[in-house]
Amino acid sequence: MIKAKRKPLEELFDLTKGFQRILCVGCGGCTSVCLAGGQRETQMLKTDLSQLFRENGKSAHISVFVIERQCSPEYISDIEDMIKDYGCVISAACGAGVQLLAERYRSKPVFPALNTMFVGLDRSTGLYQERCRTCGDCQLGYTGGICPVTCCSKSLFNGPCGGTNINGSCEVSRETPCAWNEIYERLKMQNRVENILSIHPPMDWTDKGPGTLIQSGYESRYIKK
Amino acid sequence: MNSINTDTAAMNRIADILDKKRDMIKLSLSACVHCSICSESCFKFNSNKKDPTYTPAYKVINSIGRIYKKKGKLSDSEYDKIKILIWDKCVLCMRCYCPLGISIPSLIACARSVCREKGFYRTYDETADGPEI
Repeated sequence: MIKAKRKPLEELFDLTKGFQRILCVGCGGCTSVCLAGGQRETQMLKTDLSQLFRENGKSAHISVFVIERQCSPEYISDIEDMIKDYGCVISAACGAGVQLLAERYRSKPVFPALNTMFVGLDRSTGLYQERCRTCGDCQLGYTGGICPVTCCSKSLFNGPCGGTNINGSCEVSRETPCAWNEIYERLKMQNRVENILSIHPPMDWTDKGPGTLIQSGYESRYIKK
Repeated sequence: MNSINTDTAAMNRIADILDKKRDMIKLSLSACVHCSICSESCFKFNSNKKDPTYTPAYKVINSIGRIYKKKGKLSDSEYDKIKILIWDKCVLCMRCYCPLGISIPSLIACARSVCREKGFYRTYDETADGPEI
């Protein structure tokens, strides 16, 4: 799932200090699960921001509302009636949720409360690790289920480089395991070590603008011939 | 039975939420013919041995249905039960299909909004010690 982290409070204050009425909108989706933008976190944001306003000799009326999923048009209409009473919106969703809110309510400034960090896994409560950069060309089938784009410090598609330390760590940091060493060990364990020898063409990282995904079976609905 | 918490501000906000969605809730509750076709499209229902409490219609009727009929004046224990229905037993994947066109996710989302106003919502670190401060 998407993982996010709250922005520094000072940054949020700087963005919103000119407004008298602020609506903090939480998200019941991914940012709730990663303990960054759910009901409780949005209420905490309201408390912290109100305190900072007071400390700076300003006052603002801050309200909280949580939309079940800010990346879905069906749910963001929940604030349609209330948004007109506020000068700006702080969205505690991922970047996609912030943009959908800003697109729907164009006349209102919508500020992000969070920094969207990565697609990651839950190691423990409040502890997440990046595992996917949504590159759009998944290599995990060839690499023993270890992502070279995310886990290799150089995001090498064909590795390892010459910088693997003797203990299997990366030359960038001895604390960081060499992803390609791990890939080799995993493939060896699975008797698939020949996979590491096949050369994969470089990823096309050129900027193509925002991507659109149409699932198989839905083409006729969205693609006009 | 737990006492009913009637925090006036929260109850007013709940009344607002129910008022805005009144037509949809009323129509949906009366239109549901209990055909249970929605259950087939619910992966939670299918992956939980077809437990009827996972049927989308059951979740709707026993969450927003109860809330609407009692105008939000339910006991804490009733809200606790609803919380399990609409968070633990539904992930709002929006795949549920109703042949009559009832928007089940919208109804569940509405129930969640009411529950949030009453202070009942899913927290994702319930079993942990909480953050280090």
